Amino acid sequence: MSNSAGFPVNDLLRRKTQTGLTVTTLTLSVASTLFLLQFSSRLGLGLTSQTSTLTLGLTAVLGQFLLFTGVLIFIIGAVLTSISVFLMMSQRTRDFALIKAVGCPNSLVGGYFMTELLTVTLVSTILGIVFGFLADFVVAVLVFSSYILPILWYPILIFFTFFVLAFLFGLQPILKAAQLSALEALSPVTYFGLTEEAKHKPLSRRALTWRIALRSLYRRQTATVRIIFLLSTVFILLTVSVAGGIIAGDTSISSIEKPIGRDTLAIGQVAMINQFKLELEKFSQKTHENSDFNYSNQQYAIPYTLIEQLQTLNSVALVDPRLVLHEEVAEQPSIALGSSTADTYDVGGYRKGQSIVIGIDPALCSGSWTIKGRFLENNAITEAVVGDSIAETMYVPNFKEGINISDPLLEGISIANGDFKIVGVVVDPINNGFVTYVQIDGLQRATGIYHNNLLIVKLSNSTGRDIAINEIETAAREYGLAVYDLNLSVEKNAAFLSSTWQTIMFLPSAILASAAICLVAYMMLSVNEQLQEFAIIRAIGAKPNIIVSISAIQSCIVLLSSSGIGLSFGTIITFIILIANPVFTPLTILVISGWILAALIAMFFLSLYPAFRASKKSILEIMI
Amino acid sequence: MAQPRELMVSTEGLTKTFKVGQRKITVLKDITLKINKASFTVICGPSGSGKTTLLNLIGGIDKPTKGKITVAGQELNDKDEDFLSEFRCSHVGFVFQAYNLVSTLTVEENVAFPMEWLRKPPEHIHQRVSELLITVGLENRATHFSAQLSGGEQQRVAFARALANDPEVILADEPTGNLDAKNAQKIVQTLQFLKSNGKTVIVSTHDQQIRVLADNIICLDEGKLASNNE
Repeated sequence: MSNSAGFPVNDLLRRKTQTGLTVTTLTLSVASTLFLLQFSSRLGLGLTSQTSTLTLGLTAVLGQFLLFTGVLIFIIGAVLTSISVFLMMSQRTRDFALIKAVGCPNSLVGGYFMTELLTVTLVSTILGIVFGFLADFVVAVLVFSSYILPILWYPILIFFTFFVLAFLFGLQPILKAAQLSALEALSPVTYFGLTEEAKHKPLSRRALTWRIALRSLYRRQTATVRIIFLLSTVFILLTVSVAGGIIAGDTSISSIEKPIGRDTLAIGQVAMINQFKLELEKFSQKTHENSDFNYSNQQYAIPYTLIEQLQTLNSVALVDPRLVLHEEVAEQPSIALGSSTADTYDVGGYRKGQSIVIGIDPALCSGSWTIKGRFLENNAITEAVVGDSIAETMYVPNFKEGINISDPLLEGISIANGDFKIVGVVVDPINNGFVTYVQIDGLQRATGIYHNNLLIVKLSNSTGRDIAINEIETAAREYGLAVYDLNLSVEKNAAFLSSTWQTIMFLPSAILASAAICLVAYMMLSVNEQLQEFAIIRAIGAKPNIIVSISAIQSCIVLLSSSGIGLSFGTIITFIILIANPVFTPLTILVISGWILAALIAMFFLSLYPAFRASKKSILEIMI
Repeated sequence: MAQPRELMVSTEGLTKTFKVGQRKITVLKDITLKINKASFTVICGPSGSGKTTLLNLIGGIDKPTKGKITVAGQELNDKDEDFLSEFRCSHVGFVFQAYNLVSTLTVEENVAFPMEWLRKPPEHIHQRVSELLITVGLENRATHFSAQLSGGEQQRVAFARALANDPEVILADEPTGNLDAKNAQKIVQTLQFLKSNGKTVIVSTHDQQIRVLADNIICLDEGKLASNNE
């Protein structure tokens, strides 16, 4: 080995602990980023393959969530990489000066350190990619029970980005050291960075411990600011994943429960009930309804006498008569005004689709919806509300077809012979969101079908549930109609959505682990850098636990400031960007707080590990 | 009849071995010595003879591999780290060759540290810090950090810190080793002051100016006691 390559390699091997720490941190950073991105991409692929279930709106929400998480994971990895290398090279400023002081030319010393930097970053990024692949393989086999080769540009992107970032950030302290004269670099003022006079008098033993902790943080302010930035990003991600995940989960579950509601029954002919049940459960199961089913068949009509009879029952809170049809629907484009009255622009095109169309009486409606816009008004017979899947397929810009602007709330929909203005977009599990609601009179007028074919009955709280169902079943049986408890379908849909979110919620756990590794790595570097100081303090009489106390204060400050920033931004992002109409209860808030608190406590205790280890060493061991 | 003098330090068969990789290096071999209270002892010997290790053992910073050591009436061999910390703080003042000031604390905070650790009252600490800084001539540098002081000034702060709790024994490891003649002279004056105040002072040094203050000179050679001239 040539001398120029031999020195850096020997130097790295001589400083086993520091080299090992930096390589481990970098490797973990690259590996965890690659693994998390591949894992979220696998989750995304899983969601895409589920498009025969879920509504398109909810798939989009989940996709958006995963995309945002992926971007943050990448940023965290990149920042962690840059910090680790920066810290490693910053610690070498003094060595750089020492070698210069004994007569080695600047360019040669620069070359040595550059080679060290290149070796460490190259080895770590390669190791990181290998471990990232291995972790992905193991988890894919365990969680997804199969291994499909992940997207290959992820490792390539991570390798080049992280390598370049690590190199550039590591280069900064080398260049800074190269510009300093040997005398300047060796000066304790330059090294310690403390030149201001202290203003306060010592107060107590605790105050001194605080001062040492705070001033050490201040002395390493560049590193401190960077680790706070890194952990803030981690906490943003954690908040978005935990709070966003739980709230988005609750919100989406609520969104698919509300249209049907709890304690509701469906009454109709057996065939109609079965068909409606299939349309409803398509959301969670890959079932197919009967495509030849004739909704408009007169034999499915519900007698008005039954509606009247049900309305008199104490066990019934509401009877919601509906006309359910399957129709071809067509987009009705419109013209919108621009900023000045002279300007107009075309909105939408003439696209067509298939939809379940439900005619309802808004005054008697038993359901409620998560809605963009508003729901139908009483007697507004020319208004329609479309499901999110209709909106996502028929009312989105399509540049190939020359539709540059499209917005369901500015357009209309044609159903049979009637035209309706769209006033709202709802999340609805029926037919996976390919559903349209219109006022029943308007639908009857447009189709010429003047009967109801389905009753949704909401139970009152006054009678026991079983007694109420029994009473209603007796009434329906007199007309040869079947009764179906809609709770069964609602529960299936909610359970499916809940399990989808639970899979996604694996990400926060992985992110938490990654964040804990970041913090422990930082604390290891930090404790390592302060070891000499700790040895001095102990030599003059402080007990070993002062190391833990100082580290605990530093860790607390870093964690509290970064969690403060992260939680604030995370909450804003969750509510403003990711979830428009959040649903949360006191229990949700408790669960989220519990998660984040547990994460903070776990990270705090993990971060003390390097200090505990150092406190167990003898003074001389530390000093050497 | 002369009164028997009280012992401050006594060692018996003191041996210290370090493990470096697979090799064992014995730095101190079977050292038996006695140092009286209120005496001024100089430890001399070539580099690597074990002077610093002996001071570390007396100061409770390190533990012997074999043998017995008693300092200020306390047997130190089998004591745990917490006891030794307490012992160092109350009974020993240590001055290191490399000064070893806490870089994140100011001069006055460095001097106050051992007193804070023994939970002395704030008024006492303030008064003692002022006294000690006047003694070492650094009263105008109280709020400076160690990085802003010269080597001589740092060593004087180290002396002030070592005296903070009025310890029974003061250990100084080559206190003038890194200083010029002028600064070394100030340290010698400080040592003289300690001697005249009846402190037990143990100094490892090559400095002739310090050697002339000695009541007792212990010479080490390759870890063995070469001579002990009381």
